[in-house]
Amino acid sequence: MADAAIMPHSAPDYNEAVVRKFVIATVFWAVVAFLVGVWLATELAWPQANLGLSFVNFGRLRPVHTSAAIFAFGGSALFATSFYVVQRTCRARLFGGEALADFVFWGYQFFIVMAALSYVMGFSQSQEYAEPQWHLDLWLTVVWVAYAVIFVGTLMKREEPHIYVANWFYLAFILTIAVLHIGNNLALPISMFSAQAYQVTSGVQNAMIQWWYGHNAVGFFLTAGFLGMMYYFIPKAANRPVYSYRLSVVHFWSLIFMYIWAGPHHLHWTALPDWTQTLGMAFSVMLWMPSWGGMINGLMTLSGAWDKLRTEPSLRFSVTAVGFYGMSTFEGPVMSVRDVNALSHYTDWTIGHVHSGALGWVAFISFGAVYYLVPVLWKRPGLYSMRLVSWHYWIATLGIVFYITSMWVAGIMQGLMWRAYDQFGFLQYSFAESVIALHPYYVIRLFGGLLFLIGALLMVYNLIQTVRGKISTSEQRIVMPAAVAVAGE
Amino acid sequence: MDIDPSDLIVGLMMAVFGLVGLILASGAMDNEMYVFGLSLFGFACVFDFGLLRRHFDRMEARRHG
Repeated sequence: MADAAIMPHSAPDYNEAVVRKFVIATVFWAVVAFLVGVWLATELAWPQANLGLSFVNFGRLRPVHTSAAIFAFGGSALFATSFYVVQRTCRARLFGGEALADFVFWGYQFFIVMAALSYVMGFSQSQEYAEPQWHLDLWLTVVWVAYAVIFVGTLMKREEPHIYVANWFYLAFILTIAVLHIGNNLALPISMFSAQAYQVTSGVQNAMIQWWYGHNAVGFFLTAGFLGMMYYFIPKAANRPVYSYRLSVVHFWSLIFMYIWAGPHHLHWTALPDWTQTLGMAFSVMLWMPSWGGMINGLMTLSGAWDKLRTEPSLRFSVTAVGFYGMSTFEGPVMSVRDVNALSHYTDWTIGHVHSGALGWVAFISFGAVYYLVPVLWKRPGLYSMRLVSWHYWIATLGIVFYITSMWVAGIMQGLMWRAYDQFGFLQYSFAESVIALHPYYVIRLFGGLLFLIGALLMVYNLIQTVRGKISTSEQRIVMPAAVAVAGE
Repeated sequence: MDIDPSDLIVGLMMAVFGLVGLILASGAMDNEMYVFGLSLFGFACVFDFGLLRRHFDRMEARRHG
């Protein structure tokens, strides 16, 4: 990895302005996503929290939360880091000039705001994680093509002979998301002047295409892209090379080959043919190996540098993220087994699984990258307060634990209540009884989400103070004696 | 005038999008398309003004530098 710090005399004039903008957007959308999530958790525990207003009812706010978390927060983090990493590892300024990079930034933010607005106004094409209507899909396609042009163009004009493995993961993410987005959103509008459109496919074919898209949004947006982040920022923060470069290449090819087949596990016990369900299940179980190959590579990169976890709280985020990645990529294959899925599907176990990945993996690896990037991009000697980073880490980790354990218990209980029969062969519990039984777990989930939000607010304060060039006074007091001792030598 | 080709291409592209936004808003059959069309037009205008501002800021900096 070539870096400006290593070769200051030959470093090109990188476009850091667009990276800074995306970092700000990442932090902003993180707070929005967590805030809406906490509100939704409140509505689930106490439905009156929707205030009787149509535009904040659960059905409309839920896609605002998922889109804000995945596309706004996660997407901005991916744009920021991919633009940063591709420039540094290729030793080349972004292709296409400042105007194109700005178009990608503002065009993407415009898409997010318009999509959120359309959800609260009641417009949706009713496809999970692909709710925006046709005109917004077209706009996103334009922005995405511009993004691909910049990324591929930068790779093509690189001054380093080798394409670093992080860029392979980013490239797979960009190209596959383009194919998935176009494939899943093929629709015929009723008029050019109407937001309403009909999908080209219907019935089980439509469901299959939707979950080919949905699962690979997880696989390529929330996994491949963030693995690119892992392969750059963990070695940089730990100041160690990747544990095994060969393993990273094997990890890359096996992961992208297998992920694309796993979608049918979302449709177990449906009208989808049995062989397709079995195929999806088999590939999902096989995915365990490449996923853990990546996890091992990430964790082992810290060999000989584990002590840095005590002094580098931001690295703690990245390493814990890899741990959560390992955990959720073990849980996923287990849940994809048809008989396990018979219990887990449609229950809150799935919600717990998704959040161990979203909060533990995606958010934590992004926090680690943001804590690394902010002092570098704003040319500050370090973060305002390492103690606040530590507080953020422990509060957020506790929040995740509350969230996922409550959802495991709630989900398994829910599944068992739904399938319980009495001695006469009738269902033992009504649906409403299972909802009442879940109430305490929904309150615990709300508490977990609230902790995660509080942690993010601490991060915002810490980053604002860092950008303002301040250092925490209490931490200055700790640093002072050592600094004086060195100066007195 | 020394215009950055990237500014020119992106600027023209945004002008076309602004026009498309106006057309969509003019014939909108529902609130969503009306809001989207007008917002697209507004976004395109602000973006193009931003490009113009940056262009003249750059020229001014060159003159004084």
